[in-house]
Amino acid sequence: MYFQLRQKKTNEPKNLSLKNPLLLVLVKIMSDIFTYIIGGKAGEGVKKAGEAAANLFSGMGRKTFKMDDYQSLIRGGHNFSAVSTSIDDIYSHYMKADLVVNLDDRSYNLHKDHLTEDGLMVYNSGDTDKGEGIGLPIDEISGNYSKSDLIKGVTGIAVLSAVIGLKKDELEELIEKEYSRGVEENLSFAKEIYDSAEENVENRFTLEKGDDDSPIFSGNEALSLGAASAGLDMYIGYPMTPASSILHFFAAHGKDLQIMSIHPENEISVANIAVGATMPGARVMVGSSGGGLALMEETISLAGMTESPVLFILASRPGPSTGVPTYTEQGDLNFALNQGHGEFPLVVASPGCMEEAFYLAGEMLDLLWKYQTPGIFLTEKHLSESSMNIDVDPSIVGWAEPKKFEGDREYKRYEMTDDGVSPLKFPPSEDVIKWNSYENDEKGITTEDPEKITEMHDKRRNKNEKLIVDMKDMETVNQFGDSGPVIFTYGSTTMSVREAVKAGEMKAKVVQPKYLKPFPFWELEDYMEDDVIVVEQSSTGQFASLLREKCNIVPKTVIRKYDGRPFEPIKLAEKIKETI
Amino acid sequence: MAEDLGTGAENTWCPGCGNFGILNTMKNVVEKLEEKDIGREKLLISAGIGCHAKIFDYLNLSGLYSIHGREIATIQGMKLANPDLKVIGFGGDGDAYGEGLSHLIFAAKRNTDITMVVHNNSSYSLTTGQMSPTSEKGYKGPSTPEGSIEEPLNPLMLMLSAGASFVSRGYAGKIEHLTDLIVEAIEHEGFSLVDVLQPCVVFHDDQYQKYNEAVEIIEEPAGTSNEAMKLTEETERLPIGVFYKEEKPVYHDEIYADLNIVEDKMTKDERTKQIEKILDERT
Repeated sequence: MYFQLRQKKTNEPKNLSLKNPLLLVLVKIMSDIFTYIIGGKAGEGVKKAGEAAANLFSGMGRKTFKMDDYQSLIRGGHNFSAVSTSIDDIYSHYMKADLVVNLDDRSYNLHKDHLTEDGLMVYNSGDTDKGEGIGLPIDEISGNYSKSDLIKGVTGIAVLSAVIGLKKDELEELIEKEYSRGVEENLSFAKEIYDSAEENVENRFTLEKGDDDSPIFSGNEALSLGAASAGLDMYIGYPMTPASSILHFFAAHGKDLQIMSIHPENEISVANIAVGATMPGARVMVGSSGGGLALMEETISLAGMTESPVLFILASRPGPSTGVPTYTEQGDLNFALNQGHGEFPLVVASPGCMEEAFYLAGEMLDLLWKYQTPGIFLTEKHLSESSMNIDVDPSIVGWAEPKKFEGDREYKRYEMTDDGVSPLKFPPSEDVIKWNSYENDEKGITTEDPEKITEMHDKRRNKNEKLIVDMKDMETVNQFGDSGPVIFTYGSTTMSVREAVKAGEMKAKVVQPKYLKPFPFWELEDYMEDDVIVVEQSSTGQFASLLREKCNIVPKTVIRKYDGRPFEPIKLAEKIKETI
Repeated sequence: MAEDLGTGAENTWCPGCGNFGILNTMKNVVEKLEEKDIGREKLLISAGIGCHAKIFDYLNLSGLYSIHGREIATIQGMKLANPDLKVIGFGGDGDAYGEGLSHLIFAAKRNTDITMVVHNNSSYSLTTGQMSPTSEKGYKGPSTPEGSIEEPLNPLMLMLSAGASFVSRGYAGKIEHLTDLIVEAIEHEGFSLVDVLQPCVVFHDDQYQKYNEAVEIIEEPAGTSNEAMKLTEETERLPIGVFYKEEKPVYHDEIYADLNIVEDKMTKDERTKQIEKILDERT
């Protein structure tokens, strides 16, 4: 395993790799990946500890990926955060860590197999007595502080600082930045931990500095910023994991961005406030997970009929029903593709990394306003709540401007046009603007007339056809790598596959359709003859079925995972290799 | 009456339907509002689904014909997007007190500046007369052939409990009174409910007679919410008018004060700068 060959200050002879040219290559390619895992109970600041580490790595100019694994509870249980960092691009956390910090016995037991061969385990000697690794009296030290549970998380950054050879004043600076609330106690605690750890772990690993200055964002934050860049005016949400942090983001930043955020009584209200707000011209986004979107489905159909361009975020978690609230799965693909009763144009797309989440949310808002129809931004917990670097330019995102009504002719909301898109006018206006959930005539008055029903169906279908023409000029499918076996994937699993290809030092063509409805079959004709591998997080292989239905691509193998956890790159690499 | 407020759409209400009274009232309302310099271009309407909702097609005003019970959420969206507009929702008793009840309670709770006009005929008439949330116990309809075994809701009491800042009842048979009531409701800053006794000549053929005998105009709103609640419990005589009225902070003002997200929208450049600030804070 290449993990053994990491650049180290300890007794590893530096010229080891030179004896074997192959190893030299491996060192060069992989030597800089460093993984840190911190585990403990909810309420011990584990998530924050992961975030602080990610910010430390990022501050060193390194690329970073952070995944938080937590349970649906507020105190107790087991949480962990896995943070992997590299000089080069990194698309996933690894579950083989160079440094594991366990704040309790349960974490020790769960993570003792998550070490690389020369990885370092630091545990809480106040809670664990079987320890292999370095025991620190975390309980004893934290007992002297007012928030004796919450402060334990500070252990992570203190130990990490010692392990990578940061000086105490550098640690102080980090604490002041990351743990500013109750900073005096945090500083004092961090120094105590640092002192107790220093002699055992000091400078065990050296992390090379990089020159990357891109910030770290979660997928939910990235998509929020992307939609904001496209002119979003309003975000409406009812809390549901893993979509809630979008609502929190806009509640925190709404004033500066002048984006209103609203948390009403239920998801049905969310969706209908959204449709109502589009009528006077507000650019609106809403979000939920599967259960919440199910409640919104009636209104997705309303948006299709009224031609209301609402962007719906579906952040998936394992189902059916309540399922496993804080974990990840791609079981909602068919649900997203088939939203809404009746026939109307619906756009469904799913981003393959955080940066793409930014651009795709902006692009979708823009596209939906162009075609006046609803769309679903499909993602999963693994992308929504994990974090990585994004390098984005908000100025190049579109501004969601619809076709507006001009001229002296009578205004008709559903005026027939060549592309099926009727020009918009917003109130207040001398003209009467009628949007209608019933089938209607051009003016928006209810109709049961057979000719008008047919005409309006044709109008909406026409929009869909023009949308497809537009999409043919857009980047609807990504391909990473240009030789080797073809691996089809989508959504957050794209990140796992890209990192697995790196970890397994494979050559592969990773094909990721960003748009899933209308499905960009025109981009995929070249792959029909290939032996295709599909990787997805669904128990029934919904994405593989979609490829078969839309492009007649029959995968040779479908690698599926449906235990709520994202793929681990090394394990996924092994699985892919088994199939080749 | 403002004759130009019709749309030319064929009216399909039953002859004698109480909804005609409400439609005519609304035309008067628009005229009265225009006298007060609230132009019709500033009015947005929505409706649920049912007999009442056809008013959307018959009134030549801008708006969105919504779905069952959701018009209460629809008009809140309109108002929050552009608070300069006056929004009026039409609902039936099935819409407002059944399917959309949660929206009504929460609109009252958060005091969004909307007006809900509920065409209350105590029956699901467009779906052939099933019992509704306000049908009397013993009501016979196709879903309750032996008579409803449920007690009716008291919607005004419910609204008062939810903290509604304007609670009123009108009668479709007293157009002048109803006109003033709806104008006052629209002018009220905050949530306003106008429950309208709307006779259904098909499924409740005794309603006109009953209401004509029992309605009694209240001259002044009750001084307290508790007194107003007592008024809602009267069944022998049926008080109509404003039961309760209170000045309270309005939801859209409380969110972002004077900001109108549609009219005062940032430019692309201004937004880009704000986003870059957020990006920079992380680097």
